[in-house]
Amino acid sequence: MAALWGNIDYAAFVVLFCIGLYIIIAKQNLIKKLLGLNIMETAVFAFVVTSGMVDGGTAPIVGPGMSGPFASPLPHAMVLTGIVVAVSITALALCLIIEIYRQCGTLEADELKGAE
Amino acid sequence: MSHWLPLAVIVPLVAGALTPALAHGRPGLARAWAVAVTAWCTFATALLTSRVALTGPFSYEMGGWAAPWGIELRFDEFSAAALFICVIMLLVLVFSGPYVRRALPEARITWYYSLLLINLGGMIGFVVTGDLFNLFVFMELVAVSSYALVAVGGGRTAALAAFKYLIAGAVSSALILFCIGVLYSLTGSLNMADVALRLATIESPAPVMLALAGMTVAFLVKAGLFPVHVWLPDAHAIAPTPINAVSSALVVKLGIIGLLRILPLFGAVSLAPLYEALAWLGAISVLAGAFFALFQQDIKLMLAYSTISNIGYIVLGLGLAGELAVTGAGIHVLNHALIKAALFLAAGAMIHQSGYRTLHDLRGIGRAMPWTTLALLVGALSIVGLPPTAGFLGKWYIALGALEAGRPGFAVVVLAGALIIFAYLARMLNAFYFRAPSHEEMLAVREAPASMLLPVLVLAALCVLGGLLGRWPVMLIAPAVGRLVGGG
Repeated sequence: MAALWGNIDYAAFVVLFCIGLYIIIAKQNLIKKLLGLNIMETAVFAFVVTSGMVDGGTAPIVGPGMSGPFASPLPHAMVLTGIVVAVSITALALCLIIEIYRQCGTLEADELKGAE
Repeated sequence: MSHWLPLAVIVPLVAGALTPALAHGRPGLARAWAVAVTAWCTFATALLTSRVALTGPFSYEMGGWAAPWGIELRFDEFSAAALFICVIMLLVLVFSGPYVRRALPEARITWYYSLLLINLGGMIGFVVTGDLFNLFVFMELVAVSSYALVAVGGGRTAALAAFKYLIAGAVSSALILFCIGVLYSLTGSLNMADVALRLATIESPAPVMLALAGMTVAFLVKAGLFPVHVWLPDAHAIAPTPINAVSSALVVKLGIIGLLRILPLFGAVSLAPLYEALAWLGAISVLAGAFFALFQQDIKLMLAYSTISNIGYIVLGLGLAGELAVTGAGIHVLNHALIKAALFLAAGAMIHQSGYRTLHDLRGIGRAMPWTTLALLVGALSIVGLPPTAGFLGKWYIALGALEAGRPGFAVVVLAGALIIFAYLARMLNAFYFRAPSHEEMLAVREAPASMLLPVLVLAALCVLGGLLGRWPVMLIAPAVGRLVGGG
């Protein structure tokens, strides 16, 4: 129990990741699927960001009067790139959803199966 | 000389981004520009490949920062796939000219070439990067441009197929990023060679296994292996045929190359159960893909299922993990790219000229388009794996590898898969040459224009040459295979 409480952040990411995956698989509405994808990606980003945390660490700006320990800045740079990727995927997916709605008149996956 | 490596990645990406501005409203210029850039990339990667063949793997440090801290580009024997990627992309671009003029709205043609160049840059980057996070970034460049290219043709279901592809691709990408995060928090490094060294000293196996399992599953989704292939046939049936050639021949292979890149990182943990699972999944995929292909009427769907079957061969070869079997898998990655590109482009030329796409409607086309049909048959013989052609080599090595590993059952699977594929080859042969045409206008269909026929014939010739000169690629990748098998 103590181990779980000590790693409560990891447990939260796993739960969030699974919620996202569940939405993608179980929900029929395409917008909801896209929301699920975004929840999943957010879980991953949060996980990567916290891996840069150092106990008592400060912002890694080196200068006079600054002393360590510093938090690792690399995960933040990675997540920034990851967010850019996620935004472009979301934008593309929204464009596709608009096009699907124009062509087929519905966004429910089970109804779209009939339209194919 | 040392700057050729980063340039081969950067030039197509920048050129792709500039295309819409340069060729605004002039689609002809966009094509010439894309062909010129890709020809330059082919030249650059040919130079790099000859260098790796002569002197072995080499690295480039971005911005002059040394390897574990800076970003490393590494060109090893498997990176020679970049040359195949450029050659196939060049031929696809030449082929695309007449095809997209009819298949796409005029306003989209410039974007089509722009996306293809970005796709090319992403693929070259993916095979030459030595950094885990850059692997992810290049993979996403390829993926996002592929999603858009599936939908570029428009039509009733194109956006839906692209959306399905996007969801499958984005979920697997998120999984890969998660696993990269796990590896980073375990080792504090992103450089692949450095991560491999540091993983060897990690004591708790559970998170390492988690990262390995997650990455393997995600890359298999990208490769379109049988149980996780559902996105592949839809995307293939709907995208324009030159895009099929790119995605089926090249993009799905990135999943395999990704596996080849990450497996050596885990040299410290016992990979035997993973290899066993890969061998079984591969074998199932070989049979299931070939079996589904047998029942397809639509020639594009048939080729899509045959891709699933051939990815199965490659994964089976990886799973057997012997030197012969992994050589077979590596060779089949390259040769299947040539074969599948030849098949899709030939099928595309037929669909373009006749307007039909099922075997029933295409009856009698052997007389109307003799050269294209011949090229398609050479490709089909090659995918069956008949001896003088390129497909034979990989399957032969994988079958030998199965016998060497003492698993004759898997050798039987290799053979059975080839037999099922032979059955659908016979169906095609019968329809194209021996049946009376279903439509009278089939007799008036003319041979494809030169700029479509030429790439098809070149690829068909490469299918034969790939078998006759097969010793060269085998010798080229031998050191990399040795490292993979020896280290794992």
